[in-house]
Amino acid sequence: MKISLLMELARRDFTEKYSGSALGALWSLLWPMVNIFIYTIVFGKIMSSRLEGVSIPYGYSVYLIAGIVPWTAFANTVSRSATVFTDRKNIISKVKIALPFFPLFIVISESVTFVFTMLLFFCILLVTGNPITGKIFYLPLIYLAQQLFAYALGFFIAIFQVFIRDLKEVTNITLQVWFWFTPIVYVYNILPDFAEKFVRYNPAYLFVKAYHDIFVFDAVPSPRHLIVLTALGFSILFGAHLLFKKLERDVRDFL
Amino acid sequence: MISAVSISKVFRLYKSPADRLREIVFRGCRHTMFTALQSVSFTVRQGETLGVIGQNGAGKSTLLKILTGVLLPNGGEIRIDGRITGLLELGTGFNFEMNGLDNIVMNGMLLGMSRRELADKKAEIIDFAELGEFIDEPIKTYSSGMVMRLAFSIAIHADPKCFVVDEALSVGDAYFQQKCMLKIRNFRDNGGSIIFVSHDLNAVKILCDRAILLDHGRVVIEGVPEDVVNKYNYVISRIRKQDASTRSAPQGGNSYGSLEAEIVSVALVGDKSGSNTVSSGETVAINVDIKAYKDIANVTVGILIRDVFGQDIFGTNTFHHELSVDMKKDTPYRCRFTMPLNIGPGKYTITSGIHSHDTHIHHCYHWVDHAESFEVAGIYGQFYTGICRLSPEIVIKSVDKVSDVSDPF
Repeated sequence: MKISLLMELARRDFTEKYSGSALGALWSLLWPMVNIFIYTIVFGKIMSSRLEGVSIPYGYSVYLIAGIVPWTAFANTVSRSATVFTDRKNIISKVKIALPFFPLFIVISESVTFVFTMLLFFCILLVTGNPITGKIFYLPLIYLAQQLFAYALGFFIAIFQVFIRDLKEVTNITLQVWFWFTPIVYVYNILPDFAEKFVRYNPAYLFVKAYHDIFVFDAVPSPRHLIVLTALGFSILFGAHLLFKKLERDVRDFL
Repeated sequence: MISAVSISKVFRLYKSPADRLREIVFRGCRHTMFTALQSVSFTVRQGETLGVIGQNGAGKSTLLKILTGVLLPNGGEIRIDGRITGLLELGTGFNFEMNGLDNIVMNGMLLGMSRRELADKKAEIIDFAELGEFIDEPIKTYSSGMVMRLAFSIAIHADPKCFVVDEALSVGDAYFQQKCMLKIRNFRDNGGSIIFVSHDLNAVKILCDRAILLDHGRVVIEGVPEDVVNKYNYVISRIRKQDASTRSAPQGGNSYGSLEAEIVSVALVGDKSGSNTVSSGETVAINVDIKAYKDIANVTVGILIRDVFGQDIFGTNTFHHELSVDMKKDTPYRCRFTMPLNIGPGKYTITSGIHSHDTHIHHCYHWVDHAESFEVAGIYGQFYTGICRLSPEIVIKSVDKVSDVSDPF
């Protein structure tokens, strides 16, 4: 449908939250900024954390940021999409708009934050003397696969959330647990054997690993991982689509 | 042109929304059905106004929601070759923290306008809403009338094929309402279709080309507004009768007196409408049924019509007509007042009393305030405004000579 409406909704998403405050939408960009600086200074400088086998400057900070920034985009997309129908009830129950639109504008608005934070990350890399290699051209691919997965998952949950309001909390808790099950704060190698096998089936690991490859290990991300992730995204999306076909009328009735 | 072809809508009522999912998983039945609409069909042609009337719960809102695409019907289809907008609820998607201008953009886009259209029409929208400098203020500082003005202005400028007019329009002040009506007429004259949903039967008669009456989710009648309104009155009176059977005493307010005789019931019936909703100028009969518990001579029966503000509009009694009745114990009597009801459109109540002599101050047997209510909707014969028809005779002549001026007739 209409791109302009989608963009407007995404823009609103930024400005509405902070309307009335002096800095406005800037606030939504200040958060990731502060986080990145904390990770760099606290873990890189004060605690001087080191990564085994990685010799790049501020190794642990780079590792941490490279994982946390995409994870944040992913987790925010999922958790906010999950409640988008009930949150936007006032619009949905008054105007005719295709419902799959709603998780989509969240993907877009989260992407803006992501791009901004990534640019900031690049600055930090340059300042700390890390080279930015051509491998960053893989970024859009990884990000697309990741957000396709996030969108599908969010849309799927959103449909159920209309019927079971508790899903909001369930989603948030699951995401929190999921975060710690993904090697973002710690490294993959420190896991005991059984956990290592377990983590391999973690879809979030697929994309987090890819970011690590690019920024920390200077390696080409595994194409197999990305293909699996994309396939997973599409199959969930397909499932969500079927579910939506079946339940759209009920979703609208209940809102 | 808009056409609705046998639209049906069934709501399944669940104790909790989660039951809907349990039903899918476990295949059980956990709901009760509520049929909101049952094969409703109609068409609205270009430049035509269709009135939709019906009591609360008849399915009007559901119909509107299906027309605007917010709800999906269980059966049937809607064919619209364009946008349909209206004031369904004030300020759809308005964000009260944001200023008027931003809200115009958001609201306009939600209604399906493009950026380009919005840029073209923004000035017109602001101008029509008469918000002036307020347009840069957050909407939370607006009065409800201002919000309505903005909402209406956006909706009518969104270039819809069909415009839905409902009660929300009544929020504005009289001046703006008239301005809106003018705009709506312009819209219709330019080929737009209008769906007019209202409880104001008078307005339906005046504004609509055709009307449909919804009752329990069905179209009971479709036709010229006059017929449909009459049918509506009939439907209402049917319900009133059910009400009446459950109540022994006359409906309404204060009732007092010595109760040696009693007013059993008071009813107004129009000779054309056959119910208590009548047109101004229609001949009506007011029947006062009375009964005495002992023999009483020279009983006076009176009626008094009051408007919604409690003002006395007209009152008379048998004494002034040099009539009275000698009542026998336990015999029912009916006193009928027949008259052309030349009072203006509106809602009224009838108060009735039985007493001795000319007023109830002497000896009041029974007095009942608001014993019956009725509505005057629409006007027979020449149009007039105000609370009563004075039936003037009008002559116009040219005035030739100065001497004629004092009295040319």
